Amino acid sequence: MGLSAKDSLQLREALQTAVVKCSERCLYQSAKWAAELLDALPEPDLDTPMAEDVAEPAVHPAFAPNPDPAEAALEARELSRYLLARSFFDCKEFERCAAVFLPEPLLASLLGTDPADVAPPKAKGKAKAGAVPAVSSDDRLPELSQKSLFLALYAKIIAGEKHKDEEAEMIMGPHDSGAVVNKQLVVVSRFLARWFAKRKADDADYPPTQGFLEYLYGMVLAKEKNDNLALEYLMQSVHLFPWNWGAWQEMTNLISRVEQLNKIAPHLPQNIMSFIFHANAAVNLYQQGPDQAASVNDLLSIFPTSSFLLTCKALLCYHSKDLFAAEHEFNKVLALHPFRLDALDHYSNILYVLNRRPKLAFLAHLCSNIDKFRPESCVVIGNYYSLLSLHEKAVQYFRRALILDRSCLSAWTLMGHEYVELKNTHAAIESYRRAVDVNRRDYRAWYGLGQTYEVLEMHAYALWYYKKAAGLRPWDAKMWQAVGSCLQKMGRDRDGIKALKRALLADSYYDTATAAAAAAPPSSFAGGGGDRTAQMDPEVLLQIATMYDRLGELDEAKAYMELCLAQEEGINAAADDSAGRAAGGGLGESVAVHDSPGSDAEAEAADPATREGTGVTFATSKARMWLARYAIQTRDYATANRLAMELCQDGVEVEEAKALMRQARSGLAELGSAPGGGASSSVAGEDLHHRRQSRG
Amino acid sequence: MLRYLSPSKIALLAIIEFYIEGALGNDAMIPIIDFLTAHLLDSSVGSSLAAPADQWRRAESAIRLAASIHRFEEVLAAFPAVDRLPGRNLWDRLLEKLWAIDSLHALHDFFDELPSRCLAKTKKELREMAERGEPPPPPQGVRLTVNSPFGSFVRKAHLEFAKLHFDHVAELWKAFVRYRQPTAAYWRRRNPNHGRLSFDAVLEVGQGEWGSKTNDVAVAAYGRMLLADDQDPAPPVSVDDVESLLEFQIEQVQRYGTRVPQNVRNQFRQLIKNCRVTPNLSHYLNFTDSWRSGEFPSSFDDLHRYFDYTMQSRDRLFYQYALLNLGIVQSDFGCHKEAVATMLEAIATAKENRDTACLNFALNWFFQLSLAHPHLVHSLEDSSMLGSGRELLAFLRTKAKETGMWILWSSALLSEAKLALLKGDSISTAVESMVRCYHVIAEKNVKSMIGPHHALSIELWDRLGIAAMSAITNEVFLRCHARTSVYDDRLRLTCRVAGALASRGRYDEAFARLEAIDPDALRSARAEQYWRLCRALVKLRRDLHRNDLDSADALLAQLLQHGPEDVEPGIVLLVHLLHVEALARRGDFAAALAKVDDLLSAAGSRTTHASPPEKPSGTAASATTTPTGATTDTHALVRLLLVKVQLLSATGSPERGFTLAMRAASLAWRARLLALLWQSCGALAGVLNSLGEFAAAERLLVAALPRCLEAEAVHDAGLLFSHLADARVGLVGAMRRDGYGRKGSEVGVMLAKAHAALDRAMECFAAMEDAGKQCEMLAKKAALYRAEGDMVRAEQCAERYLAVWQEEVGVVGRGGG
Repeated sequence: MGLSAKDSLQLREALQTAVVKCSERCLYQSAKWAAELLDALPEPDLDTPMAEDVAEPAVHPAFAPNPDPAEAALEARELSRYLLARSFFDCKEFERCAAVFLPEPLLASLLGTDPADVAPPKAKGKAKAGAVPAVSSDDRLPELSQKSLFLALYAKIIAGEKHKDEEAEMIMGPHDSGAVVNKQLVVVSRFLARWFAKRKADDADYPPTQGFLEYLYGMVLAKEKNDNLALEYLMQSVHLFPWNWGAWQEMTNLISRVEQLNKIAPHLPQNIMSFIFHANAAVNLYQQGPDQAASVNDLLSIFPTSSFLLTCKALLCYHSKDLFAAEHEFNKVLALHPFRLDALDHYSNILYVLNRRPKLAFLAHLCSNIDKFRPESCVVIGNYYSLLSLHEKAVQYFRRALILDRSCLSAWTLMGHEYVELKNTHAAIESYRRAVDVNRRDYRAWYGLGQTYEVLEMHAYALWYYKKAAGLRPWDAKMWQAVGSCLQKMGRDRDGIKALKRALLADSYYDTATAAAAAAPPSSFAGGGGDRTAQMDPEVLLQIATMYDRLGELDEAKAYMELCLAQEEGINAAADDSAGRAAGGGLGESVAVHDSPGSDAEAEAADPATREGTGVTFATSKARMWLARYAIQTRDYATANRLAMELCQDGVEVEEAKALMRQARSGLAELGSAPGGGASSSVAGEDLHHRRQSRG
Repeated sequence: MLRYLSPSKIALLAIIEFYIEGALGNDAMIPIIDFLTAHLLDSSVGSSLAAPADQWRRAESAIRLAASIHRFEEVLAAFPAVDRLPGRNLWDRLLEKLWAIDSLHALHDFFDELPSRCLAKTKKELREMAERGEPPPPPQGVRLTVNSPFGSFVRKAHLEFAKLHFDHVAELWKAFVRYRQPTAAYWRRRNPNHGRLSFDAVLEVGQGEWGSKTNDVAVAAYGRMLLADDQDPAPPVSVDDVESLLEFQIEQVQRYGTRVPQNVRNQFRQLIKNCRVTPNLSHYLNFTDSWRSGEFPSSFDDLHRYFDYTMQSRDRLFYQYALLNLGIVQSDFGCHKEAVATMLEAIATAKENRDTACLNFALNWFFQLSLAHPHLVHSLEDSSMLGSGRELLAFLRTKAKETGMWILWSSALLSEAKLALLKGDSISTAVESMVRCYHVIAEKNVKSMIGPHHALSIELWDRLGIAAMSAITNEVFLRCHARTSVYDDRLRLTCRVAGALASRGRYDEAFARLEAIDPDALRSARAEQYWRLCRALVKLRRDLHRNDLDSADALLAQLLQHGPEDVEPGIVLLVHLLHVEALARRGDFAAALAKVDDLLSAAGSRTTHASPPEKPSGTAASATTTPTGATTDTHALVRLLLVKVQLLSATGSPERGFTLAMRAASLAWRARLLALLWQSCGALAGVLNSLGEFAAAERLLVAALPRCLEAEAVHDAGLLFSHLADARVGLVGAMRRDGYGRKGSEVGVMLAKAHAALDRAMECFAAMEDAGKQCEMLAKKAALYRAEGDMVRAEQCAERYLAVWQEEVGVVGRGGG
């Protein structure tokens, strides 16, 4: 998606305006975001814009006065007070800033009393502080420019947040219930409600607003958990002023399902911001797929060096379990913006899973050197300590991250993982719970909760949480597998089988998806075509088989057992199994509990090898044993003998295998020569083949 | 700055690993282990016998080790690494090891695996392993036991590393990279793969991916450190390093009373210049430094600063120590009154806080002060609860014994002995105390008290007039004990030796002794002052004897500035006596007499028959008389009396000195001031001579002379001989008068004896280079010859007289004839 020179120029101008407007309102994060994006826009060719620059008047639109004359007049009148308020805000004196335009008594009079109250004491307009009694309730709002009003109310909210943080108890201390609320929300929300009501009441003669107050109201509503109304206001806001990234971000946080995203998509303004929003929201919802990758790549062609978009791309790779590509992307971001700490915590997760210890140490060092009091830095360091198995220290750093920012989602989840490692299940559950409270879309926290309850052998609970996690990530085999084994433990074998089959399906889904995502130009890591047959996890197959066995459906059981055995050889039956085994066994143990991507790693790290088959694993040996026993039961002594011999060769449960072998030989001797043995196994093979086709 | 770990400690750990891996050859073993222990163990252990200069060299080495890796090169490059190819030495081996730590993670690994690589399993661990059914580890070369010095260092390093926060680890890593970087060029020669970014493997690997952006990433991670113009990097030291260096310096300063040598101080300052954390002790070091350099305001300032920071540490109040230090400094700068007040408060505070150690120390100090400045303390004695001096001493002695404060105990015993000597008590009591003191010193190895003890015994021998013993004691101290004792003692006793030499007329030797003192030690202001004073005294005596009165006056003008605030009373007295002598030599007898009278009245004598005692004026004698005169030094009194007798006889009224001489003799006898007793005898004999009692005078002198020679007081012996000659000449006259003329032989014998006595006196004065007295003797000789009618010899004597006069004085003087 290329842009014409004119478009590019317009985009540049719009972004410049956005930066100025946002920073005028002290929306620093939005301003930063826009400025970053602006920076990522390649420099225009020197020839064409020169002429236009000359032609253009000296005033850049960013500094042009407000097009609305009434607003412009108000702004001009308030300029000195606005500057005062602005400098207070910059000095972090939020209450004072708010008081410049909305002194406390005024607010109290406006909002403290019930609207129906008969004795409204304060006035409006220029004589705000005067004692002129108000005529009607509608008229009592102070007459301020929208910019000043926004600044004042925004300062109010920030002040409230600050107080909230100050009042909060020690992280996970005895009184830390997370129930402290921002007391200013009520005030601001009432004020805005009235303001909008007033505007609606005498609509007609007002020109469209600037969109910022809508954003503020949406934010407040979101904080009050009034999600639908919040979304509505935020949509209004982005329609009015699409360049405020904060509004888009609030919307991202409000949308918890893909369906919802798809539902609101048509109602959004059609511009590049909405495009970016869509891509980002999808990433946050763990979506992946070729169209996602394509949209991010399109955006990157416009903003080739945008750290935000590169991060999005990296996260996309991460969600689609292509860790190497994700690592590569993050590495690129790091090189382009070495002082940028945002999202490096995700990078550290990836490095953790890949077990790149020196690199993670380096990253932690870098973060700590740049700013050791940023939540991201603390999370990175915590991850590093976790990798060194220094769990107390890791907890200490996650805690620090939370002190710095209580809404730091990954810190809560990771702290939960650490507590699991430390066998402190209560604390683990609490921190997972807090993570979920912060953001209900964090499947890792749900999964962690499930795991913890499973450890405590409370399977019904665990199942509930696993289901939540699986709902968030329907194409993650790990989730379904967890659901399945949970069901199995509860004795609901039928459901368990269903869940596990779903897990098998999900595996194959990801494989194709990854391949598609990786088709994007620069990733040299993820090779491989999309057409290969799915590799299945022998563990899952074994589990399914044992459940069938328990249900007494021996045919099914046998089929799955054989399928499990077949994984050993894989498709190409190469001899590269030792690598696969090492990767699978070495990582799985320590990582699996820590982080659900850990299991991804297992799959991922083993990926190049598993393509050639898993080799002999514990699960396949089990299957083989089962099959041998089954063969003896069905008097197929030749097969039994062969399987037992293989077992002996593999060196797993040799004694038992030898006993089986003896039994089989004696059986063989009994039968004399048994011509049916080979045939039966070939029949089984055919059967298996048939089954696979029917499923596939 | 980290608490314990520093890059140099990492390198030390690496060297310990060589030891374990067997990289040390046989000849390297001892030097390397010696090097390691010198830096790992407490530096004061086992090194106290080394000379102070050596000790400072160790401190210097420690500083250089902390500051730069090249110190290791000096030590290691000489030895081959036996487990590598020939041609590789231990320095290469160290670099190999250090450069193998190529990332922050590698540093973590290095410390994590430290115990498993270096330490042997303890019995408990072995037992636990056996319980778990694991086989015991195979024996693999050297392993450190857990409690060995190296083992405990390894464990401590491991533990300290585990305690570090991440940012501190990162700091250590950066410091380590910087510490190691100077060796990069050398290492690249040995190892061609080494690249510009090899200090961090992650960067080197990432270079492939990051390309030209690698530098940006590196700068983000390492900050300004990588840029060339990083002016003030944090020094690669830990708080532990700095503290141990500080403690070492303070210990040295306190033990030897010297200042930190210039180069050590500069290096140390350089090292801690950029430390963000300066330990509080450094203020104390500053304080001692400015105290020793005699910088009054800044020493007070630093002292206050130090105690402001440390007053409340470790739940204990240190106010009394602050007061104690303050009092000492005040008295050191001559503010005795303030010092007394401070010390009293310190005593009260220490009592309140039940700090026995501090209390005892303060009391002891207070007692010493009261000895030196009785007038300050006297008014307090009635009102305070301290009691009189003796009670205080008894209290101190028992307390010190109870609490095991050996220094205090021995010093209390010494004080008792000193008090006894001062008051002219029985010598045996004093000796008893001294012996007991020495017993304590020997038994408890209280080396620091040896100096005072020897000083006191020297004084004792001097008083008893046994010069040989005092000289030997002096030499014993200087040769055997000097290096372990406080520098002040050494200086004092050296000055004493010089003084003794000067009193025998061996001025050049005396100067040589004084000049031989280590100039570095004289950087302490007080020490230098004292040293200059001693030199001036020797020179003054020589000038006086050579009749170089102008130079003597110039010196006296300076010396008389010293009051009892800053020097010992003995020296003040000496200066005054020399002043009197100078006045007498100028012939200003009236002024000399007046001054002696002043001094005498100040010393509390009532027996002078001069004008009633006037109030002493100004600085010359600020000591007011005490009603009982109990603490007045008898020694000083006797000397003053003797000087007065001399003056009286010189002014031609020797008979007026009779009572004075008698009194001096009896005082000296009672106090066993034997050296002075013989002088008193001489004075008495002079009076007797003037009264015509020649026989009595001769008998007295003949009895006193041998003892006086024993005391090696050459000048006094000369005087005695001259008196003897006078007496004998008088006897000759008496014989002739009494008609002994017939027996010419007896007269001739007596005359010869008189000549002999004159010759001996002549020798003595010649030894003292005392021109005036020499001339006097020659004149007497010439007169005798003339009386005998031997004009030739008389002429010879007159010629010698003129020769001596010309030679010694070189100016046309107002000679006496």
